[in-house]
Amino acid sequence: MSMEIMETMEGKIPRLPDLFVWTAEGVKIRSAVCRDCNTYFFPEYHAQHRPGCPRQNVERVLLNNRGRLASYTIQHYMCPPPFKTTGDITPYGIGLVEFPEGICIAGLIMESDLESLKIGLPMETIDYTLYQDEAGNDVVTWAFRVIK
Amino acid sequence: MREVYIIGSGLHPWGKFPEKNFVEMGAVAVDRALQDAGVRWEEIQAIMSGILIYGGNAGHLSGQYIESVFGETGVPVVNVYNACATGSAAVRMAYNSVAAGEVDTAIAIGVDFSPKGFLSAKSDDPRQDRDVLRWYMAGMPNPVYWALECRKRFENYGDTPEDLARVKVLLSQYGAENPNARYKKRFTLEEVLHSNMVCDPLRLFEICATSDGAAIVIISADRQKIKAADKPVKIAATTMGSAIYGDPTIRISALSSPAVAEAPLLSESYSASRQAYEKAGLGPEDIDLLELPDNSSWHYLQYLETCGFCGEGEAAALLRSGETEIDGKIAVCPSGGFSSFGEAIGAQAIWQIVEVANQLRGRAGTRQVKNARVGMAQTYGLMGNSGTTILTI
Repeated sequence: MSMEIMETMEGKIPRLPDLFVWTAEGVKIRSAVCRDCNTYFFPEYHAQHRPGCPRQNVERVLLNNRGRLASYTIQHYMCPPPFKTTGDITPYGIGLVEFPEGICIAGLIMESDLESLKIGLPMETIDYTLYQDEAGNDVVTWAFRVIK
Repeated sequence: MREVYIIGSGLHPWGKFPEKNFVEMGAVAVDRALQDAGVRWEEIQAIMSGILIYGGNAGHLSGQYIESVFGETGVPVVNVYNACATGSAAVRMAYNSVAAGEVDTAIAIGVDFSPKGFLSAKSDDPRQDRDVLRWYMAGMPNPVYWALECRKRFENYGDTPEDLARVKVLLSQYGAENPNARYKKRFTLEEVLHSNMVCDPLRLFEICATSDGAAIVIISADRQKIKAADKPVKIAATTMGSAIYGDPTIRISALSSPAVAEAPLLSESYSASRQAYEKAGLGPEDIDLLELPDNSSWHYLQYLETCGFCGEGEAAALLRSGETEIDGKIAVCPSGGFSSFGEAIGAQAIWQIVEVANQLRGRAGTRQVKNARVGMAQTYGLMGNSGTTILTI
């Protein structure tokens, strides 16, 4: 991976590692692709090959920063622990975003007007601060927002 | 392979029983099944038991704990987990053991209790348990997954909020008349449509609760026992399926799915049901009643299509036509479904089989499907688990 890709950002710590990075083009989801069976995995450490695949050519990749909304819901109740976020964010959006690579990824949707969500909307991957740790760092996850 | 029959069954009613432990609930159902089958405990030659994922060491060895109540006899005890299809796995193993001639009479045990509050993560290590990711990073309880699929149906087929509510209204009429059901209130369309939104478009009364319960079947190829039993029911097929590569379903636990479908939605259930049709030599057109896994109203609609009871996108029209009611072309969930029972993970697959058997044995009272001769129980378990059982008389 090139120098412009950052596993952490100053003051920001992913809640769990190895899932996304910051790049000059924005936040990108980490994936792995099998060049033998042309399957993308997420997380990258969960292989999901096509039956019969020789499984010899898997490489780590970053998904495009942009995709389209394949489905969504508006969650009206707080997810129970271990989900943790500051304050009451309900109702919150959860979306399934289809990336050009041919994989859909689920995640939080950060959008103030949830009623405007529609299948097919252009989306981009961002980070979202769940809470702050004791050292004052933002503990973050990936999320999606509508490209306006 | 020999012909195999259910010769007895037993249930512990569904509900919340904080004063009981799972062994006590299981023992109630086993006693009823033994009495129904007219066999003594010492005649049981194999025990296949579903494990309780939230039950600790005892729950992981549920078969041994229940065996000890009735007296340890040294027979094989196998404990199995396949998520919500756990009971399907227990029945399938019991069936195979009997059909192959290893033993003549076996018992399949399904018992479970639900933890207090919401179901949630069972581990904190995402490298070992990928399920952790959705809880830490995306705030996705199980119904969110169903809502994401349900939204696609709205978009692709024009299903409506009224269709989802109609499922609850219909099933609540049956649950009200089932003595073993947890929920007995009859709902109106208005009441369901005004229940709290949980994850749009699914409302509170369109999502099943979590319950405690126990269900048992005793199966046998012993001619004398079959002859002596009260209306034994033949197992025409009991199969299991896992997912197929390229299934586009956003599957519980996962945070990704293929964008281009190369397999059917809910491919594990497609697989289990098609295996069962082939093995039984029967198809959807032959089936008089179907217990499907209505974890939510979305499941009710989707499973009618997944199991081939109508074409893709046609389920809502089938529901609206009344053909899925008890006196319709295919009676769907005449028990009242999970909607009226709630799910008890390790027990529910066997409970569905008991409900189908009760219909074929003419024991369903006011919910009886007339002239029911062929029934099917279909399960759905997360992460690609499914079982189908077809019973005939």
